[in-house]
Amino acid sequence: MQTNTTETQFIKTLRTALGIGQESAGARAAKIFTDPKDPSPEQAAIVKTIKSRRDKDHMALLHHLSREAVPLNLNVIPVKDKAQVSKAIANLVKETGPEWGAKKSVVQWDHPLVNALDLKTALKDQNVPVHTAAFDTTGMDDLTRSKARDRVRRQMIDSYIGVTSADFCLADTATLVMKSRPKEARAVSLLPSIHVAVIGKEQMLTNLKELYALLKYDPETREAELLPHHMTLISGPSKTADIELVMVHGAHGPRKLYLYVITG
Amino acid sequence: MSHDAATKKYAQNAASAIKDEILQKALNKIQSGLGKATALSYQNLDEGPDLRLAAHDIREKTINNLDVVLTRLAAKIRENGGRVYFARTGEQAVEYCLKIARQHHVKQVVKGKSMVTEEIRLNPAFEARGIEVNETDLGEYIIQLAGEKPSHIIAPAAHKTRQQVGRLFERKLGVPYTEDPPELTRIARKALREKFLTADMGISGCNLACAQTGHITVVSNEGNIRMATTLPKVHVAIMGMERVVPNLEDHDILFRLLSRGAAAQKLGGCVSYIGGPAGPEFPDGPEEFHLVILDNGRSRILADPKFREILCCIRCSACLNVCPVYGKIGGHAYDATYCGPIGAVLTPLMEGMNQAKDLCLGESLCGACQQACSVNIDLPRMLLELRYRLAYGDDQWETQPVSVAEKTIHQAWAFLAGHPALYRAFLRTFALGQKIFPTSRGMITKMPGPGAGWTRSRDIQPLSQTPFRKRFKKLNAKKAHG
Amino acid sequence: MTHATLFIQCIVDGMYPEVGEAMVSLFQRLGITMDYPENQTCCGQPSFNAGYRKEAAKAAKHYIETFEDSETIVCPSGSCVSMVRHHYPELFENEPAWKARAIAVGKRTFELTEYLVDVLHIENTGAYYDGTITYHDSCHLKRYLGVAAQPRTLISQVRGATFVEMKGCDTCCGFGGAFSTKYPDISTAMVREKVKNILDSGADAVVGCDMGCLMNIKGYLTRNTLNVRVMHIAQLLAGKKAGAV
Ligand code: SF4
Repeated sequence: MQTNTTETQFIKTLRTALGIGQESAGARAAKIFTDPKDPSPEQAAIVKTIKSRRDKDHMALLHHLSREAVPLNLNVIPVKDKAQVSKAIANLVKETGPEWGAKKSVVQWDHPLVNALDLKTALKDQNVPVHTAAFDTTGMDDLTRSKARDRVRRQMIDSYIGVTSADFCLADTATLVMKSRPKEARAVSLLPSIHVAVIGKEQMLTNLKELYALLKYDPETREAELLPHHMTLISGPSKTADIELVMVHGAHGPRKLYLYVITG
Repeated sequence: MSHDAATKKYAQNAASAIKDEILQKALNKIQSGLGKATALSYQNLDEGPDLRLAAHDIREKTINNLDVVLTRLAAKIRENGGRVYFARTGEQAVEYCLKIARQHHVKQVVKGKSMVTEEIRLNPAFEARGIEVNETDLGEYIIQLAGEKPSHIIAPAAHKTRQQVGRLFERKLGVPYTEDPPELTRIARKALREKFLTADMGISGCNLACAQTGHITVVSNEGNIRMATTLPKVHVAIMGMERVVPNLEDHDILFRLLSRGAAAQKLGGCVSYIGGPAGPEFPDGPEEFHLVILDNGRSRILADPKFREILCCIRCSACLNVCPVYGKIGGHAYDATYCGPIGAVLTPLMEGMNQAKDLCLGESLCGACQQACSVNIDLPRMLLELRYRLAYGDDQWETQPVSVAEKTIHQAWAFLAGHPALYRAFLRTFALGQKIFPTSRGMITKMPGPGAGWTRSRDIQPLSQTPFRKRFKKLNAKKAHG
Repeated sequence: MTHATLFIQCIVDGMYPEVGEAMVSLFQRLGITMDYPENQTCCGQPSFNAGYRKEAAKAAKHYIETFEDSETIVCPSGSCVSMVRHHYPELFENEPAWKARAIAVGKRTFELTEYLVDVLHIENTGAYYDGTITYHDSCHLKRYLGVAAQPRTLISQVRGATFVEMKGCDTCCGFGGAFSTKYPDISTAMVREKVKNILDSGADAVVGCDMGCLMNIKGYLTRNTLNVRVMHIAQLLAGKKAGAV
């Protein structure tokens, strides 16, 4: 694999090209990288604004989101409580059919908010199975783990509706932000034809700038790392304009995206 | 190819593109739609259009410290369990990718649209070894089926009509003919879903990495790149070494500008941040992640202070959408990986100034590109700089003087410009001599030599027998009107 | 008293002296006195754009020597002014003394419309034109000198004239100096579109601030016997109602 000499050589070539030496590297790094523990006044102010938001601020962001979502074909549906979401999903399942197979099934994250919807019960009378795309890997050997992965993957391929939550939602760009976590399979929001996401209104942020400020400068949000190994931003369902610049929705991935925002 | 042959080919390519009505319509649509929309989207930035200038500063700072920025990026990705390979050449990068493919017995690859893989000719190398490579961006998929090259960075199949796509799908995929874009998209969606589910390896480029967090980011509106970087067991990303910024704050600014420059969007539809493989505790995602950081001639550009600025480019393609030359000749005429104004500067630097001289000479220097550039790169300055190197030759770049005859003419002109009496005499002689050219209604209709190109389609005003310099005294003697 | 030193670039001097004449009569009407250094030649732009900087530098030195004693230099071409103001200093990167002189003279060299509007604060030149006008933004004037509002301001004050914007008013006409002869197909395709936009605007005259572009546009119009008048803005602004003194 990679020998360190190629990297060393590569970086050395850069330094020669730049006409600078290695000695200055430390000082230059200190200068160009900003420190998560030492926010600039601007960044600190952003974090403070976010933290000080009340109900009405979140509602205002929700309104903003609803406006921005329209041209992106994202359906934003404010709801009072979780029960309304379960009911709405049951309705959705009733009114729609699978794109690829004949049998209806739904797949979801193992996530407190999603679990609380109790979709199994909600879809019982329609006889539609609900899979949870997660498994506990503790103590698993490689083979069992790989089998479990295959099973979950199959469920995500077969299901035509995927239900997730999200970490945040950015009003200005109608963007769902999803950090990867072990119980929150990435493909639940990718392989099914319909993606349903559920969040609480307090998860609303204004824009990318706020998201980054929070991820970087808010110790509570930062967790161990600024970012996990993977994060996705989704602004509306898939679209393409590659044929004669005509906008078509649903090139790959979900063709429809419903976002339920619980306002409490 | 000899240099004259290259010029001829460029001119021919351009001429046939100009005659291609379908292409002209498509180009017009791109420029009048996307070009305009992007300009407006800069105006609508919270910070105003000057954010482009701030972005330029960030890019410059990054490039000037690329050693530390890349070191940090690589260290972070390794910390997260990813592998990082630094490739000096395109061949090395391809070799590395092939090695990984061999290790995993890869038979099928799904790709997200990536110009850098075009640059290093990755697809043919894989195909030569019997590995199936599937482009998954709809536009790329179309041109792959057609056996063509992309004609635009963001809209690679912009030169094709719906009817052409319909017939292509009919022939290659065995589906009934349709020319309905939604239906055509559905057909591709179905065909590609199979590929996504069976591929053993995903290959992507990188739009913009963030060194501090140790992530690359890839963007697509179609969601294909998310598919290609989520479903296969192995993901290899290849990035030009300059496609990185230090901090998240920088990423915010550049990323928003990239989205606007590319598609007049506030944010690309689907963005993946990837900093490593999915560990054993994750139910899905690639179990191996490789990042290839590519030089391939970039460090040579870095070493030349006059051209370093081109490494600030984030390949948004906004410059293509306003360039009046691109708007007439389209992407294929450039006969290079990168076309349009960015290609006109980059190609001579990567493939040789003499070989690609027409790309930098064949521009009108109108400056529209810089104004449209999401990071305000002074492309016209570098076009002029390239012409300067070509005029006199440049050993550093193994560049020969482009034309002795032309140089002589400019030397003679400069001599005249410094000797007013001779200058005047020359113009007087020319004014008398021009009578040999045919005229119509007082305009010259045909000229020999370098003027022939002009008079093929345009008349030219003859020199006046009484130039202004001879008229001024008399005019100025008149009394000013009260 | 307002005084201007005229820099009449080669195209106007040799091919379109009537534009220079119009400028003189306009200045006379506005009470601006003038001088015209006989020794002026070419600003060196053709060589600079083709990459021949050593040759361009020779022309530049001549320009500087010719004009550096003048207080205010006015030229009816945006691209020549841009050459002097922006590119001269670049030419003398290794000759600091010349560079300083270049910068100094560059600061005093103005394009006609920016001189009238920005320096003299004149908007109404008392001009008259009977007809519909459209305006072509020359690339260097608009993008490198930032002059786009000034000519429109001046045009809007011309009595009798109706102004219409054409589509793509600031799209390059395809002139580009040697570009137009070296790559005639591309250049022609560009001027064809420009002319189409001019015709579509319904104007009977197209006005511009740079004879390079206008020469290109006019050459295409006459070749195709299209009946649109091509005017430098100096000619428009010098215009008077027939019979007026
Ligand atoms: S040069 Fe500027 S506009 Fe062109 S692709 Fe690069 S960043 Fe975009």
